[in-house]
Amino acid sequence: MTLVIKTVNLTKRYGSLVALSNLNLEVEEGDCFGFIGPNGAGKSTTMKILATLLQPTWGEARVCDFVVGYQSRQIRPLIGYVPDYFGAYEDMVVREYLEFFAAAYNIHGTARNKVVDDVLQLTDLSYKHDSPVDGLSRGMKQRLSIARTLLHDPKLLLLDEPAGNLDPRARIELRELLKTLRTIGKTILISSHILPELQDMCNKVGIIEQGELKYAGPWTDIVRKARTGKIINVGVAHNATSAAALLAQDAAVVSAVVKEHFIEVTLHEVADDFSFLAAKLIAGGYKLTLFREEEVNLETAFMRLTKGMVQ
Amino acid sequence: MPGILTYLWRLFPGNPILLRVVAMGSKRTRDLIIRCIYLGALVVIVLVSLAGVGSSAGNDLAKLSDASTKIFQTLSYLQLAFVALLAPIFTAGAISQEKDSQTYDVLLATPLTNAQIVFGSLFSRLFFVFALLLSGVPIFSITQIFGGVAFGDVVQSVTIALVTALFTGSLAVAIATFKIGTRQTIFSFYLFNVAYLVGIYLLAQLPQMRIPRVGPDGGPIGGLGGPPGISWLAAFHPLLALQVVLEPLKFTPPTASQLSPTLSRWPISWALTNPVGFFISLSTFLSIVLVLPSVVLLRRIAQSSTTFINGIFRKLKIARNSSTRTPREVWNNPIAWREGSTNASAARSVFIRYGFILIGIAAAGMLIVAHSTEAGTPARFIDAGSFDPLNNTLLLRGTGGTTLMVDDATSVRILRDEFDANGNRLWQVAGRGELNRRFEIANVATQTRGTVQYARSIDLTEIPRQVSTTSARRFLLGLVLLQAVAILLIITNAAASTVTREKEDGTLDLLLCTPITSRYYMWGKVRGLISYVLPLIVVPVASCGLFIAMDALRFIKSEITGNDFVVRPEAIILLPPLLIVVAAFAAITGIYLSLALRTTVLAVMSSVGIVLGVCGGLAWCGWGMLGNSSNPIALALGSFSPFTVISMLIAPESLNTALINPAESAAMRGTIFVTTAVAIAAYAGGLYYAYISMVKNFDMTIRKQSR
Repeated sequence: MTLVIKTVNLTKRYGSLVALSNLNLEVEEGDCFGFIGPNGAGKSTTMKILATLLQPTWGEARVCDFVVGYQSRQIRPLIGYVPDYFGAYEDMVVREYLEFFAAAYNIHGTARNKVVDDVLQLTDLSYKHDSPVDGLSRGMKQRLSIARTLLHDPKLLLLDEPAGNLDPRARIELRELLKTLRTIGKTILISSHILPELQDMCNKVGIIEQGELKYAGPWTDIVRKARTGKIINVGVAHNATSAAALLAQDAAVVSAVVKEHFIEVTLHEVADDFSFLAAKLIAGGYKLTLFREEEVNLETAFMRLTKGMVQ
Repeated sequence: MPGILTYLWRLFPGNPILLRVVAMGSKRTRDLIIRCIYLGALVVIVLVSLAGVGSSAGNDLAKLSDASTKIFQTLSYLQLAFVALLAPIFTAGAISQEKDSQTYDVLLATPLTNAQIVFGSLFSRLFFVFALLLSGVPIFSITQIFGGVAFGDVVQSVTIALVTALFTGSLAVAIATFKIGTRQTIFSFYLFNVAYLVGIYLLAQLPQMRIPRVGPDGGPIGGLGGPPGISWLAAFHPLLALQVVLEPLKFTPPTASQLSPTLSRWPISWALTNPVGFFISLSTFLSIVLVLPSVVLLRRIAQSSTTFINGIFRKLKIARNSSTRTPREVWNNPIAWREGSTNASAARSVFIRYGFILIGIAAAGMLIVAHSTEAGTPARFIDAGSFDPLNNTLLLRGTGGTTLMVDDATSVRILRDEFDANGNRLWQVAGRGELNRRFEIANVATQTRGTVQYARSIDLTEIPRQVSTTSARRFLLGLVLLQAVAILLIITNAAASTVTREKEDGTLDLLLCTPITSRYYMWGKVRGLISYVLPLIVVPVASCGLFIAMDALRFIKSEITGNDFVVRPEAIILLPPLLIVVAAFAAITGIYLSLALRTTVLAVMSSVGIVLGVCGGLAWCGWGMLGNSSNPIALALGSFSPFTVISMLIAPESLNTALINPAESAAMRGTIFVTTAVAIAAYAGGLYYAYISMVKNFDMTIRKQSR
C-alpha cells in the first residue's frame, strides 16, 4: 500500500517547549486517519508541518514521498489544508473566494469556471455563489473551506478540527461530505475532539499527548488495547453492597465496585461467559435490574489511554 | 466617601482601566525606551547647544541668554512634534484594541459606566504622553539658568503641547468609537492629522492669511509693503500658536486697537489678539465636545450591528457586505488582483480615490484660473508693442498715455513680490526686451531734454493677478506637497497592512499552502499596490502639467520668458519618476514591516513613522542646506530629498532667492536635473535591491512567525 504520509522521528521545538517529540506516523492512501489528543498535544503542529507551513526542528516528514522543507513546492499541489480557523478576505463573495484560490493553483480560463462550479455543487453552496464570504454561517464557511481545498483535486486533505463550533446539523452535513470524499479516493487526516464522529468516519486513529504519539492504528485495535478486562454493569434492586461482595468472591471476578446506580464487575480477560454472574445473584435472592457488557468505545479508550496532560 | 466623590474618584484617579494601563506601562520595556529616547534627545540638544555656545560666548551673558532662548525654542518645537506624532499613535489604539482583542464586550458587560470606559481609555493612553511632557519640564527649566526664557513661556509651551495631545486623543477616541477596526481608525486619524497640521501651516504662510491691521487713522498697515504679521490661523494651529510664544518679535498679535471694527467683536477679537489663550481654550473645549458623544452613545453604538459611518454608507447604497453582489473577474495573478482590484473597487475606496483626483485637479484648475486673471486693469502699463526699438520710444498705456524716449542711461527694474529681512522689496535688473511684455508701471522717473522726455528709470511690476506668480507657486507647492504626503500615507497604510491583514484574517496560511512562490506573492503585492496608487500619482503631476501647458502657450506668444514659468518645465519629466520612486519606497517599507511584524497596528504605525521620518528628515536637511547656499554641492545634495526637489521645481525662491537668479538659472537648473535623475536612479536601484532581498528572505521571515 502506498504511504501518503510518513514521519520519522519528527520533532518540533519552540525554544524550550517541545511541541512534537519523535513522532512516527504512517498514513496509507485511502485512509481516513483521525488525530486525537488534548488541547496543546501537537495535532495542529503536525498538520502545519505536513502542510509545509512549519519546518521540523529535526526528523523528517514526507508527503507522497516528497520531503517537507526540501521539496515543499512539490507537496503543495498535492495537499488541501483546512486550518482550525476560517480565513476570510473582506469584500469577497463566495465565487470570487474560490476563483482567487483557483488562480493561486494556476487554474485559469474555462477550467477555472468549471472546477468552481463543481466544488460549489459538491459542497451545496451554489446558491450562495454571490454572497459575501463573511456573511456566511459557520457551517457554510466550513463547507466553503473544504470547497477551497478541492479546487485542485489534491491527494491528501489535512483537516484541523473542521467540526469545531458547528451546530449538530452542520456537523452531520460535514460528516456526510467527508464520507463522500473518502469514497472518491481522498486520503484524509482529520483532527477532532468529537470522538464518536471520528469513530464513525475514520478507519484509523492516532492518539497524541504532549507531543508524543501514544497509539496509532485501526481504531478497533486501540479500543481493544484500552480494555483492561471485560466489564459487566450489573444493577440490583436492593443491597448493592452485599451483592457486590457476593460477586467478588468468584474467582473469575477481578473486582466488583459499587457505582451510583449499578455494580461494575470486572472479569478476567479470558472469561467468555459471564452468565454465571446473573445466576449467582438470582440464587442469592437479588432482583436484577440491569445486566449488560460495558462497551469500550473510542471515547473510553481515549480517556483510559491518556493522562489528560497538556503543555 | 460621598457618592459624587466616589464617582469622580472612579472616573479618573481610581479608574480601573487607567490603573491597569498605568501599572503595565510602568513595566513595559518599549515605554522605557521611548522615554529614554525622548529625554535623551532633549538632554543631548541642551548639552551640545550649551557646549557650542559656551566656547564662543565666553563670559558674555547676553550671548548665553540668546543661546538659551534658541535652545528653548528648539526643545519646544521638538516637544510639539513629538506630541503631534505620539499622541495619535497611543490613543487611536485605545478603544479599537479592546474591540480587536475581543475584551470589548466583556468590558461593556461590567458596571463601568460609559464615561469611565471612555475617559479611562483616553487618559490611560494620554498618561504616557503627559508623563513624557512633564518629565521634560526640568530640562526646559535648565534653559532659564542663563535667562532669556521666562517661566511663563515654559508653562505656555508645555500647555500647548498638552492640549494638542488632549485634542488629538479626544479626536482619536471619537473616531475609534464610531468606527470598527484598528486599521481604519489609525489610518483615518493619521490622514486627518497630517492634512490639518501640514495644510493649515502651509496656508498660514500665504500673505493673504495675515491679520489685517489698521493704524490710528483707521487706514491699513502691514500687507505686502510692510513687515510680516501673524496669520489668523494661529489661534487654530499648535505650531502657529507656539511661534507666537517663542518668537514674539516676529509673530506679534495685533492689539485690540489695531483691529478693524468688523474684527473687533468677541470672540474674533479674542482669537486674533490672544491666539495662544484662544488655542488652549478652544482645544480644551473641543476635546470635551468630541468626547461627549462617545460617552453618551458608547453602549448604543456597541449594540448596533453597524457603525455610524456604515449606516450612512448603507443609506447611500455604497456599503460593503450587502446581501449579494455580482462576482468580479479574478486576474491570473490573484495576489495583484486582491491588492489592486478589491482595495480599489470597494465603493468607499472609489469614493476616496476619485474624490482625491477630482479635488486635486479642481484645486489646480482654480489656481490656474485665478493666476491667469488680472485683478484689474492697472492705471499705467506697457505690453507688446509699447516699445519701438527702432525709434527707442516707449508708449505708456493707460490713463494719460505718454510716450517717452529710452536710451542707454535708462534703467529698467522689475520689482518682485518678495522682501528682504529689512522689509525692502527685492528687484532685478531687466533689459529693454522686457519693455514689450505686459507689466504695470510702478514708477517712472523722467528727464526733459529740450522738448523730449526721456525715461531715466522705469520700475515695473507684474500686473496684479488674482493670485500672483509667487503666490501661485506657493499655493501649488503646498498643494503638491500635501498631495504627495497624502499619497505616501495611503500607500504606506495599504502596504503596511497588506501582509499583516492576511496574518490576522488567517488567510496567509491558506496562501502559503498553495503553489504560489514568494517571488510571485511579493510581485503580486507590489503590482497591486502600484495599480492602486498610480491614478493618485497622476494628480500632482497633472496639476503641475496644467501650469506648464498654460505657461508654454504664453511663452510661445512671447508673453513670458523661460524664467517666468510658474512650474519649471523639466518638472514634467522629473516629477513622475520621482513620485513613483517615493511611493515605491513607502510601499517597500510598508510591505517589509508587514512581513516582519505580527499586527497591522504595529506595522502601520512603524511604517508611517519611518516613511514620514525619512522623507521629512531629508526634506529638512535639503531645505536647510539650500536655504544657506545655492552652490552646486548644495543643489546636488538637495536633489536627494524628494520634497526638496519638488520645492526646487515649483517654488525655488521659497528655498533660496538665489535659485531664481536669471544669470545662473540655466546652470542651476541643469545641475538640479542631472542630480535629481541620478538620485532617482540610485533610489530605484536601492529599492530594487531591497525588494529582491525581501523576496529571498520571505520564507524565513514568514514561516518563523508561524506557530
